[in-house]
Amino acid sequence: MRDAEVHFPKDLADALDIMRKRPGIGILAGGTDLFREQGGRGIALPDDVLFVRDLAELRRAGLTERFLEIGAAVTIAELLELGESALPPLLAEAVRGIGTPAIRNLATLGGNLAASGRFMDSWPALACLDGLVELRDQGGATWMNVNRLVGEGGRSAVPEGGLITRIRVPLEKWDIFALRKVGPRNYPTPDTAVFAFAARTDKGILVDFRIAFAGELALRSPAIESSVIGRALPLSARESSTVAESYRAAASFLPEGLSLQFGVLVESALGMLAS
Amino acid sequence: MTVSFILNGEDVSARARSADRLSDFLKRAFGLSGAISDCRCGHCGRCLVFLDGRLVTSCLVPAFGVRGKEVVTFEGFAQTADYIDIAEGFKTAGVESCGFCSSARCMAAAALLERRPRPSPKEILEYMSCAPCRCTDPEIIVRGVQTAAEIRSRRLYRRAGR
Amino acid sequence: MVQIATVRSPVARGSVRSIRFPKLPTGYRSILPADIPGRNSIVSFGAEVPILAQDRISYQGEPVALIAGPDILVLEELAASTKVVCDEEEPFFSWESFSSDQVVAKRVAVVGDPDLAFSIAASVHEGVYTSDAIEHHYSEPQGAAAAYDYDKIAVWCATQWPYHARDSVALALGCRAEEVSVRPTRLGIHLDGKLWYPSLLACHAAVAAVACGRPAKIILTREEDFRYAPKRARSSVDVRTGLGKGGELSAMDVRIAINVGAYGPLAEEILSQAILACTGAYACPNLRVEGYVVSTNTPPMGAFAGLGASHSLFAVEAQTNRVASAIGEDPADWKSRNVLRKGSRLLTGEALREDVPYDAILDRLVAASDYRRKYACYELVRKRRSGRTDGPLRGIGLAFANQGAGAFLSGDLSNSYTVEATLDKDLSLRIFTSAAGGAGGVREVWRGIAAEMLGIGLDKVRIATPDTDQVPDSGPSTLSRNVSIVARLVERACLAIQKRRFREPLPLTARSVHRSPRPTSWEGGQVSGSPFQSAAWGGAVLELELDPWTLEPKPLGVWLCVDGGRIVAPRRAASALRSGAVDALGACLKERFDPQASPLAYFRHGLIPLEDLPPISVEFLEPGRRVQAKGIGELPFDTLPAAFLSALSQAADHPFSSLPAPPSKIVGALGGK
Repeated sequence: MRDAEVHFPKDLADALDIMRKRPGIGILAGGTDLFREQGGRGIALPDDVLFVRDLAELRRAGLTERFLEIGAAVTIAELLELGESALPPLLAEAVRGIGTPAIRNLATLGGNLAASGRFMDSWPALACLDGLVELRDQGGATWMNVNRLVGEGGRSAVPEGGLITRIRVPLEKWDIFALRKVGPRNYPTPDTAVFAFAARTDKGILVDFRIAFAGELALRSPAIESSVIGRALPLSARESSTVAESYRAAASFLPEGLSLQFGVLVESALGMLAS
Repeated sequence: MTVSFILNGEDVSARARSADRLSDFLKRAFGLSGAISDCRCGHCGRCLVFLDGRLVTSCLVPAFGVRGKEVVTFEGFAQTADYIDIAEGFKTAGVESCGFCSSARCMAAAALLERRPRPSPKEILEYMSCAPCRCTDPEIIVRGVQTAAEIRSRRLYRRAGR
Repeated sequence: MVQIATVRSPVARGSVRSIRFPKLPTGYRSILPADIPGRNSIVSFGAEVPILAQDRISYQGEPVALIAGPDILVLEELAASTKVVCDEEEPFFSWESFSSDQVVAKRVAVVGDPDLAFSIAASVHEGVYTSDAIEHHYSEPQGAAAAYDYDKIAVWCATQWPYHARDSVALALGCRAEEVSVRPTRLGIHLDGKLWYPSLLACHAAVAAVACGRPAKIILTREEDFRYAPKRARSSVDVRTGLGKGGELSAMDVRIAINVGAYGPLAEEILSQAILACTGAYACPNLRVEGYVVSTNTPPMGAFAGLGASHSLFAVEAQTNRVASAIGEDPADWKSRNVLRKGSRLLTGEALREDVPYDAILDRLVAASDYRRKYACYELVRKRRSGRTDGPLRGIGLAFANQGAGAFLSGDLSNSYTVEATLDKDLSLRIFTSAAGGAGGVREVWRGIAAEMLGIGLDKVRIATPDTDQVPDSGPSTLSRNVSIVARLVERACLAIQKRRFREPLPLTARSVHRSPRPTSWEGGQVSGSPFQSAAWGGAVLELELDPWTLEPKPLGVWLCVDGGRIVAPRRAASALRSGAVDALGACLKERFDPQASPLAYFRHGLIPLEDLPPISVEFLEPGRRVQAKGIGELPFDTLPAAFLSALSQAADHPFSSLPAPPSKIVGALGGK
């Protein structure tokens, strides 16, 4: 196995400079996902690797009035240690279910979002919360809503060649929310997926409503959400049934087992609005 | 490449291949087998080490990723008072394991007690899941960690001179 | 030392045309079947398994060659680049319906007149119960090492049967058994997966050591172990039961099919155990049972926490629960009315010599779990529920089973075991046995027995290192023999020493040999013998709830009650049963064996997260009474799967018949309601 050339940048500017000089360089933050998926005795790395895990700019977390900003290399454990007052409960619930305590000391939020080939536990909660990721490459920095990380057919479409540097989570209050994980919990399999639900009410009217569901494929339907927003609560049985049916149709591209489970989760979420 | 770091309290340096997982590197370069490279996918927990004070699965850490950091393997941990408390707690409670998961479980217990001196049974079982094993009797392992917590608390209380 | 990488067949069935190695660097060499000095197979429980497949391939991943050398990373690359060219043939994967070519073992037994009994039965109920393969998920990686040690070949491996490894290596090397010394390494939780497979790895290491003239070590990666080492066999049991007017069991027709993958080691034993367990704890005057062990082109499969009885016990307990529910009766009462009593005629024709302690066990379980009230309540909710959200989705299941006496039931396997003990001049005792201690404290049990018998301190009792040069053959460590047989042999050896110690000078050695008469024999559709007479009995209750959002089953409580005769170390025994219950729950709930899952099949399989476990309660019936100690380690696996299935069926109001029950099936059953 050939030895890769590993670059250890001093800071983010240095990292971006290396990326500019060596287009196509492999970017390695924690590597948890990569090393786990490879599983063999040796790890196959690209010939040229930029190791960004220890960059100070990626390791910060900060709170403003309107949002929580998390460096991409902040570990899940560190995120949870920010405490209940800092972390939106839906996001806290999502990341609490990631792996074991030892894995949470290694896995990062950036790595969780950039995982290859599937959506990991944080995406549905961030999608519901309209989280943003900052991507930096040779062209500069772009903020992108995490919902745009979904490509055709619900597949993960994390842009290549860039570096996720920060994640920004709006700190809006949600009256009603729920998060459930289905399938094996401690490790991602084709049967594993996360369901996130958030709703906001004002004087008995549903003013915001979001559902996101993701495993190997992701589902969020702004169209269905719009059809529910503005209705008076509690939802009638007929209203709930119509919405549930719309979601079942929208989920037909998911594997059968997950599609069925998603239908039941939607009904349970709507049940919170019907009671 | 040469990787310099602190290993079990000592400054060390050794050549690592980019392909080396930390668990394999510790064995190959330093002859340490406390972090056993078993599943190599972060699953079995046999490779647990403390990295800058945090419990991690060393099979998911590249060897080059510990430059300038502090690593404590089971060999180093076994010299600490925390380990003695936990070993005594497990023995008093009658924790008997297959032998392959015990060092990892001791380290997981230590990591838990550092954060939660009086953990709940659910928290204990969550941390023991860091090193899953077919030899697990959940009742005894909870009792073992709770007993270790008592012993540890008494030691820290005495040390604080109260 | 050289490390070893395995070159494996890319096809499931066919023949090897050629093996093309890449250019091997200096210090690396290939090992082919022609390099095996002796016999290229190990004999395992009635089957021959090639050490390296030479002409015929029987499963994908079957070892066809080895590469040995100093660096394992280099070896893995070399093995991956080796081209194995095969003439591929259509493999046999199907086993629930199968051709006669695939039948490795078949047995039929008939008692009474089942056809007549069915024709006059008041009701007939049928169910087909299937269980999937289960991964042993060992505590430690599998492997072996070998090296010359003066005039011998020393072999290290973790095995349930060191003497089997010794004899296998001797045959492979073409030398005498005395020229091989097996030094077992620590054996973690084996769940009966290491009866013969470690001998195969031992042969790989020994052949490489001889070929290279250096110590050799082979360690399977977890992926290799997961994909290619033996798993619990898959089974499908079709149970048809006829009931009389009063609900009494009048007839059974059972068809058992067990898929053992390639070669079928243990086939006869698994089948015998499954057939003898097919009526469970119940008296059935008219029975036909047909059992088949079927070979397929998958890696060999076989034992898991027992040698086959659990396949049938799962089916018969699930079926009796379903039958009772169908006729509107609490399964606990139905079982009580139909359970075997003293004098009941068994499948073997013998009469049971003592009562089965069903009622005593049931009383304890009911008291501990509140089973009767909960069952009635959940039945009421189930029948009246108008939809999924109308009331809690809860169920409670009961199962009852026995564990046999620890002897092999079939084939020409030796049932002879030896233990030696020596009391030295300093009044310390050494116990010599090849029995593998496994996890936990069975070695402590032996030491405790010896210390008590001889009146010496526990610190004076040692178990000698189980080197085959130093210890006698105590047989394979399976079927709870370490407690039911080896412990007794330790006791007898100590007793013999005690009788002589004040009359004869020290050191004193005593040898204790146990020879089980073969418990069964099969002839012309009849089986005879006495396999049940010293069985342990156990019952389990499991309560669960379906999460209202995900519909995933969440166990709320597990209660076990066991009559294991004398329980030598109650605390340890209870701990072992709780540990076994955790494994059984994991297999019911979380574990999915999918070797084709890619890229990391092992990674995607996992044990049940401990924080998901319910409280597990264990009780023993009169553990202190002075009777024989019996093996009880298999009972959680013999009972909990059926209890789980019944509880799930009640909670979901759907007759589930197979384990594991994937979430999609549960949702499918409930989603429309």
